[in-house]
Amino acid sequence: MSRIGPPLLVELRQVGKVYHLGESRITALKTVNLSIHRGEFVAVWGPSGSGKSTLCNLIGLLDVCSSGTVRFEGQDVAALSDDQRSELRNRGIGFVFQSFNLIPVLSALENVMLPLQISGVSTAQARRAARKRLAEVGLDDHAAHRPAKLSGGQQQRVAIARALVTDPALVIADEPTANLDSENALRITELMRRLNSNNGTTFVFSTHDQRLLERVERQIQMRDGEIIDDRSPEQPAMRLDRSVGL
Amino acid sequence: MMTWIKLALRNLFRNRRRSLFTILAIGLGFAAVNTLGGFTAYIFTSLKDSYIYAQGNGHLSVFKTGFLQEGKLDPTRYLIDEEEMGVIQQVLARHPEIVVVAPQLHISGLLSNGKVSTIFIAAGRVPSAVRRINEHARGMIGKIQLFDGKSLEDDVIHGIGLSRGLAEQLNLDLGSDAVAMAPTVSGQINALDAQVFQLFDGPVEALEDKLMSVSLKFAQSLYDTGSVDRLTLLLTNDDTTETVRAQLAGELAAEGLKLEVKTWNELSTFYTKVKQMFDVIFLFTFLIVFTIVVMSVINTVSMAIMERTREIGTLRALGFKRRGIVGLFAAESMLLGILGSLLGMALTLITWSGVAFFKPTWIPPQITRRVPLEVYLVPDYMLYSILLLIVLSLAAASLPARTAARMQIVGALGHT
Repeated sequence: MSRIGPPLLVELRQVGKVYHLGESRITALKTVNLSIHRGEFVAVWGPSGSGKSTLCNLIGLLDVCSSGTVRFEGQDVAALSDDQRSELRNRGIGFVFQSFNLIPVLSALENVMLPLQISGVSTAQARRAARKRLAEVGLDDHAAHRPAKLSGGQQQRVAIARALVTDPALVIADEPTANLDSENALRITELMRRLNSNNGTTFVFSTHDQRLLERVERQIQMRDGEIIDDRSPEQPAMRLDRSVGL
Repeated sequence: MMTWIKLALRNLFRNRRRSLFTILAIGLGFAAVNTLGGFTAYIFTSLKDSYIYAQGNGHLSVFKTGFLQEGKLDPTRYLIDEEEMGVIQQVLARHPEIVVVAPQLHISGLLSNGKVSTIFIAAGRVPSAVRRINEHARGMIGKIQLFDGKSLEDDVIHGIGLSRGLAEQLNLDLGSDAVAMAPTVSGQINALDAQVFQLFDGPVEALEDKLMSVSLKFAQSLYDTGSVDRLTLLLTNDDTTETVRAQLAGELAAEGLKLEVKTWNELSTFYTKVKQMFDVIFLFTFLIVFTIVVMSVINTVSMAIMERTREIGTLRALGFKRRGIVGLFAAESMLLGILGSLLGMALTLITWSGVAFFKPTWIPPQITRRVPLEVYLVPDYMLYSILLLIVLSLAAASLPARTAARMQIVGALGHT
């Protein structure tokens, strides 16, 4: 179906995910259909075990689906090799984790440089880009600090700078405020919102946090491995071609 | 590249104690192997120099073909006569690398003190030629006198040397008179008066009560012959032994002589046996040490992977490829190998310096006097040890690293 508006970034068609634990078979996602366009700010929410993380992992190419098709920038990711998916994640997707997942032996600046160095960018170039991103998240004064010397909020801001340093089309954030106090959670939410507005970076994040949900333009509610609601109160036109698997 | 080396180095020191113990294990292993290697190199060199120079056997010996197998059954058939000696001398003269030619005649018979007799076996040699061989020895070997008493002389025919066991058996001492008896080459019994000039220790216990040393002229007089049974050759350089042997064999054959040329290590069965024994000891030590090294590295890398599973997931999420993960852990284990080898080199140098400084002494086999115990520095062993330790460290890390690289990203990220 043709549509007017931002181009399609991620498309899930009839996607299911089943995990095998010994002889048990756990269905984490039932037949899910979902489209995400460039520039969207999307929250995936629902109770624990509803499939939020599984959905984010599939969108972020961290995992492969058991059935259906996942397309990123029009490419069927199942057709890609592990190396190709790694390259696509490196240049196209940034990740923000609940526990920050910074490399403890690297300074804040070196952590932010890391994705660029993985892609083979020179150290000098990577340092320049990382300094710029650290300044954007207000941590240019903490560039030399190791993660252990930073507060939870500061670590998450470093993680956001790291996620953005390659100018990715998409940032996946897995409960980015879950380990933060209210003040820091609010600051992180505002920071992501600002980066979304200013840079046009697409954000998809899973959350339980009601304050965060209030600030998103599109909420995808999940339960028992299915999308049960997909609403965009401020921009209903953005969801014209979105089909919800129910 | 430097970024990943830096990351590997920092990762290595996240658990300082564990890494230090692994580096220590590698270092001690390196030092143990190289010190033992240095000691065996000293033993081999000493045995070789002892055989070639101190005992005056030279690098090469020329025999009639078949002498070593049949010579004892039919000695006259395998003697080199004066005419043949002349031809051989002409061939040898063409080789400036041959610095000493020492003819020998080995004899056996009975030695008597006037009351009782006992069997003897003796090497009849030209004392001055043997001394010239001794003088070419390097280091301590040339300075060690292997006998008590005085030297044998070319023209003092009656002077003989006895092994202490033989002297005791006949109640002979330095200056004592004795009579040596043996059949001549024509089968008649001959006897010669002798005087004990020197006493020495037999190289092996079985020969301790039988060995005698005499001048060539004494041996030839007793056997009533002008022939010899071998020619001992000393070369300028140990390394040319095989080349000169091959050249001489060809040239002597071209002269129509049925002769064979043997190298010192073919004739020194003691050297060969000791070398084989030390090679086996070295191999076992080497295997034990390197098994410990491999197990230490496997343990260190496996523990690191277990502790850093979530980090591996994060790196993979950020775009690190599987081979990048393998490379990162390979770099860490390679650094363990390099740091351990550097420590090992330092420990080896300390041991070597300590031995050189304190100069401990010992009594090695076949020598009755205390000699300095040495440990050689063998650069080849060190180089091979470094390369082997690095390769072993990499190999030891490869299995756990590959396991780490094959982890599911989602599973690794969820690891607690």
